[in-house]
Amino acid sequence: MANTEPPPVLIAEGIGHATRYFLREVGGVFWFIVNTFEETFERIQHGRVPFRAASFFRHTERAGVDSVPLVGLVSFFLGLTMALLTGYQLQRFGTERLIPGLVAIAFTRELGPLLTGIMLAARIGAAFTAELGTMQVSEEVEAIEAMGIGPLRFLVAPRMLALFLLMPCLSTVSNMAAVLASSLVCKAYFSIAFPYFLDLVKDSLLIRDIVTGILKSFLFGLLIAAIACYRGLTVKGGAAGVGTSTTSSVVTAITTVIGCDTLYNIIYTTFYPT
Amino acid sequence: MSTPVDIVELRDVHMQFEEKKVLDGVSLRIEPQERLVIMGQSGSGKSTILRLILGTLRPDSGSIFFKRFEITRLRRRKLQQVRRHIGMVYQYSALLSSRNVRDNVALPLEELTDKSRSEIDKIVDEKLELVGMEDSKELLPEELSGGMRKRVALARALVLEPELILLDEPSAGLDPVIASVIDELIISLTEKSKVTSITATHEMDSAFRIATRMAMLYQGKIIEEAKPEEFKQSKNPVVAQFVSGSTEGPILEGSLDAITKK
Repeated sequence: MANTEPPPVLIAEGIGHATRYFLREVGGVFWFIVNTFEETFERIQHGRVPFRAASFFRHTERAGVDSVPLVGLVSFFLGLTMALLTGYQLQRFGTERLIPGLVAIAFTRELGPLLTGIMLAARIGAAFTAELGTMQVSEEVEAIEAMGIGPLRFLVAPRMLALFLLMPCLSTVSNMAAVLASSLVCKAYFSIAFPYFLDLVKDSLLIRDIVTGILKSFLFGLLIAAIACYRGLTVKGGAAGVGTSTTSSVVTAITTVIGCDTLYNIIYTTFYPT
Repeated sequence: MSTPVDIVELRDVHMQFEEKKVLDGVSLRIEPQERLVIMGQSGSGKSTILRLILGTLRPDSGSIFFKRFEITRLRRRKLQQVRRHIGMVYQYSALLSSRNVRDNVALPLEELTDKSRSEIDKIVDEKLELVGMEDSKELLPEELSGGMRKRVALARALVLEPELILLDEPSAGLDPVIASVIDELIISLTEKSKVTSITATHEMDSAFRIATRMAMLYQGKIIEEAKPEEFKQSKNPVVAQFVSGSTEGPILEGSLDAITKK
């Protein structure tokens, strides 16, 4: 039989290329964030507002308020499923009173920020990339630059700040929806009344869990906005380029959110073991 | 009296996009209140020169000056300040599609000056009136025709009272009447407001109407620089062919043979 395995040199070369590409992209996004901060603070130093409040609120409304139904609904159903499935397992050992704590901890620490991150990357990240990408190919971004206006602080900063601040709020919505859903399941299937449910949640939930979740959410919001805007402003090749960049933006943002979440958890559990 | 200082100077500028050499040692000087027209075929690098002057592109080698500033060496912040003295009209107008005409024209004033709302409105009205677009203030760019968009772009470029305006194909794709209107507008603006202009175009009629001086860009080099009347009489075969629009001559020699052989 013929040997179909590629020679080791090619594999090594492939890994090398992939690594270089990965590092270049990470560097690109990192400097993109740094430059946006720099441009924005320079403007503030000159005693001027970096962007108009109206522009910021337009983005918070679109990214935040308009995402509440989606985030709420998905989290509600997930909370429902989670309580139901774990409930039946725990019931066999007579420990169904662990359900409230389980759902609450899982969501505040992990699933709330993660799910919200994935949903926002798809819903808002894609919109940001498509919007900025279209502006890029129609020379609007260059025209802004040509006027002497910094496109990073004018276009990117309000989007980044909006997602950075709104992400923890949406995570909280997600947590509440999931906990609410599990309380309904507990009441209906496992005879845990609402006040008792609340006591169980309060007993098991630590401030630390909530803070971890919130911190994570801030990080995810910043990353999603940065990746989406970076991809948008680096679009090349007309309408097809916008499409490719939008897909790439969503894929990159979701992967980054999950990757960072894992990294965060590893660091967190190493330094603050429960 | 001292000699007038050049407002723009390009010194031996080279620029290459991947494999394609676009500018191969371009040197140009533009004096204040001139109307220079850069001629050349599509894709010859005319727009590249305008972008280099603005600093949105950086040359591979050579230097570019705007007054006493060397654009090629300026840091971002200084470059942004210098750009406020330059207005640019893009080939496809590049108006912000999410803002209406008034907000497009007002943008540089809102972002870069400390003027009050009423002052901004006054200037915007004035500039829109200048280009005859005062009745379309509330319209979005997508509701405008190509010629109207160009006029709005011109108003936007003029709103900060620049010393230099750069125009990329100002009359391309417009009907002849509107094209003449735009040309007249450019002439009257530069005469009234003492602005210098650099226009990149391949439209002969428009070029001869606007220019006080013309430069021909061919294969990455400036092959002719002259006043319009001398330019028309040029002995250079490339320029002569370009002016006459003839198929006989050095431009496209190889490819024409291929077409005729078929």
